[in-house]
Amino acid sequence: MFRTTRHRLGYRKKREYFHDGYASKSGIVVWLQRFVMVVLVIVLMVFLMLLGDVVHADENYQQLPQVNLQDVSEGSLLLRTGKPGMYQQVPILHSDVDMRISGMIMRARIKQSFRNPGQEWVEGIYVFPLPDQAAVDHMRMHIGDRVIEGVIKEKQEAKRIYEQARREGKKAALTEQERPNMFTNSVANIGPGETVVVEIEYQQVLRYDQGKFGLRFPMAITPRYIPGKPVSENITVTGTGWAKNTNQVPAASRITPPVYQGRGKINPVSLRIELDVGYPLLEVKSLYHRMAQRKHGVGQITLTLAEGDVPADRDFELVWTPDVGHAPKAALFSEKIKGEFYHLLMVLPPEQGAEGGQPMAREVIYIIDTSGSMSGTSIEQARRSLLMALSRLRPRDRFNVIQFNSTTDLLFSQVREANQRNLRRAQRYVRDLDANGGTEMAPALTAALKGQGESQYVRQVIFLTDGSVGNESALFDLIKQHLGQSRLFTVGIGSAPNSYFMRKAAQYGRGTFTYIGDVREVNEKMAALFTKLESPVMSDLDVQFSNGVQVEAWPKRVPDLYHGEPIILAAKTSTAGEKVIIKGMRSLAPWQATLNMTQGRSGEGIGVFWARSKIAALIDSVHEGADKTKVREEVINVALTHHLVSRYTSLVAVDVTPTRPQNASLDSHALPVNLPQGQNYQKIFGQLPQTATPAELHLLIGFVLLLLVWLIMHYRLFARITGEHDK
Amino acid sequence: MNRKRLGYVLLIAALVIAGTWQIGQGLYIHAKALLAQELLENAWLKTRNGEQRATPWPWADTWPVARLSVPSQNISLIVLAGDSGRTLAFGPGHNFGSATLGENGNSFVSGHRDTHFRFLEYLQPGDRVYVDTPQGQRKVYRIEQASIVEAGEAWVESEPQTSRLSLVTCYPFESIVPGGSQRYIVSAVEVNPQPDQSELFKGNPEYNPF
Repeated sequence: MFRTTRHRLGYRKKREYFHDGYASKSGIVVWLQRFVMVVLVIVLMVFLMLLGDVVHADENYQQLPQVNLQDVSEGSLLLRTGKPGMYQQVPILHSDVDMRISGMIMRARIKQSFRNPGQEWVEGIYVFPLPDQAAVDHMRMHIGDRVIEGVIKEKQEAKRIYEQARREGKKAALTEQERPNMFTNSVANIGPGETVVVEIEYQQVLRYDQGKFGLRFPMAITPRYIPGKPVSENITVTGTGWAKNTNQVPAASRITPPVYQGRGKINPVSLRIELDVGYPLLEVKSLYHRMAQRKHGVGQITLTLAEGDVPADRDFELVWTPDVGHAPKAALFSEKIKGEFYHLLMVLPPEQGAEGGQPMAREVIYIIDTSGSMSGTSIEQARRSLLMALSRLRPRDRFNVIQFNSTTDLLFSQVREANQRNLRRAQRYVRDLDANGGTEMAPALTAALKGQGESQYVRQVIFLTDGSVGNESALFDLIKQHLGQSRLFTVGIGSAPNSYFMRKAAQYGRGTFTYIGDVREVNEKMAALFTKLESPVMSDLDVQFSNGVQVEAWPKRVPDLYHGEPIILAAKTSTAGEKVIIKGMRSLAPWQATLNMTQGRSGEGIGVFWARSKIAALIDSVHEGADKTKVREEVINVALTHHLVSRYTSLVAVDVTPTRPQNASLDSHALPVNLPQGQNYQKIFGQLPQTATPAELHLLIGFVLLLLVWLIMHYRLFARITGEHDK
Repeated sequence: MNRKRLGYVLLIAALVIAGTWQIGQGLYIHAKALLAQELLENAWLKTRNGEQRATPWPWADTWPVARLSVPSQNISLIVLAGDSGRTLAFGPGHNFGSATLGENGNSFVSGHRDTHFRFLEYLQPGDRVYVDTPQGQRKVYRIEQASIVEAGEAWVESEPQTSRLSLVTCYPFESIVPGGSQRYIVSAVEVNPQPDQSELFKGNPEYNPF
């Protein structure tokens, strides 16, 4: 039909015929009239759809290309051989987490079930995060009804014991620390269809800040950026990760578990928390997971996940606020182990508002991480936070903005006054920030810390990042070296920031840290940070125990306290002790508090807390120039005494009877982990950029449209339609 | 009647404007690609004279990192730092995460299939590709192979002993709609910079045997 019509339209003579036909309103002409209208409408609709597509493609074209090959620095191209069923033979993992909170300490038990769905004997290796102050002191392997208790050993020795059991076909489990907030569980010889459960226990001290208690349980690891050049593999034992060991990150392959790319999420977790704090509560809030609450009594609440298991793809955070008038101001918990007394001391200095008179002008350097791992929701959180931070500057302050990914870029070559013009430029700069590329942090930190100017400015560096780097230690050194009069404040961004980096970088930077895990939190959390930045600091803190008591207290030097932060100290004493005197200075006014040690409550886990604090302090001392071998020795000593996993000690459990037949082989599998929520695989591992322009599409659409115009005008169909109405 | 006529005129006008605008958009992309390369020459000169990150225009967020030439195709392009969409509009972009151009490792350079890297389609194994570094060195690469990959399924593996060059563009070449998932990758390896006799016949503008 269509062809016929077109044919007819091709002749001018016929047009007359049509005209006549039209005038006489013959059925054919009416039909034709409608037909043309329909065709035109369809063409227009298609055009609009295509246009939408082009606009959409254009957006992609802005975002998608920002990808990079940061996981590896060089090499040849490989094709991924894996198909969707790639991980079928990999053991399947399920975790049950049980937490008990009392006093200042949280104790958690995590049961990881490794189920082997395949036909082969396998070894499962799972890299998982824990809080950076976690003290892992127990590991048990459950095989059916039998339970084998893990023992603490020096790291290499533990590894040897595990390897031997693995070879002999015995079931064995090994818990190792990769980073203070990253651990590996290995389970050897899981038979076809079998399930082996590895149970670990850890404890941590709660965070108490600005009147709120907080607990963070990390569930995902943002893929770490590994700087440096790959080192030859035969030098080091490699792990199971996607990254090669490099000169800057020697164990890179151990901290980069494979990332699951299939549909949906894996690694389900169940979570149950018993809160028993003894004071009435104003509010209990889980920030990122819906929890069902059941109250038992004053300060006693049981929380469980409201919707059952959740995938391990973002950090869990619980915050609770004591009721008005019940916020603890000081607390002392003591535990007696083998004739020695261990204490946990918490003192919250009284609050003090902003200083009278004009606070000093500030010089603020904002560093924002725009690496690939910040893409998605993280960069949005960071941008908003930074914009809010800019709005808090006063005209006499000075500032600069530094962004970094693979390279570092400064907004201004030097700090500038916070006048309207400069602020507007900064806002524009921040709004345009986009996340892609590597995480070369060192140049950005150096740029921020160097060039410290006049002392009439309070110099503050605010660092917004997810901290997803593998070379933490080198960065801490750098911060310590270049800090000068600056103070460094870390803002952990995203659903799974590197908590170890956040805390330690702030510690070495003599500042404090905060977390933002959702755009909705930006206002509240940044406001809390500003209160700290703008309130006087409690410094020169000193803790003295009454005479005649031998004391070993950690940390050795109490860090400066920002608004709303308590002193938390671990001490070991030879006798029960009498008194503790705490002194400090705040804006040149001395402050002092006395605590009566005989009134301390007895608490569990205080010895472990002390040992963990000591290990942390010892490891830190390496950055201050302490001898590495000596530190190692001391750490091993403390860790073995208190049964703790550390950088130099691991827990290992071995079953006595071999179960794997000698002729059966053992497949080793690294268990994949979820990419943290809101992150984009393409941006982090993402490979190749978008390399087509919509130019030809534009041209094509353009020509089609003009052709259409020509057709319409040539045949003046519409003119005749209107002509008809003239009559 | 007048309303109908007005509607007609408006429709025609809208179509003409939309069509012209679309054609303009298409031409703009090509014009930008061509013009930018000219503007980049100046920045490249500065780079050759030792200036770090010589941006071609003050607000640019990229800078020249190398010159890429393919005598057999009469191609000479300035490669830019980074391969974000903004950068690729002006010239082929070097991926930050990959090896520095001209050094050991695998360097990735991406370009648009319909502008700068249209020529990739016509490259043959054995063809020579030259990379001029900012330090004035000329590295010669021999094309080994071309492969078609899914963008999401390709990655780079460590191989620090040799210097490789990977040129990437979208595939298929004829496709009109952008945003496809396939990539065409031409892989080249560094060779001894002995001039290949065959180049004489391929019209290498820079090869003069006399």
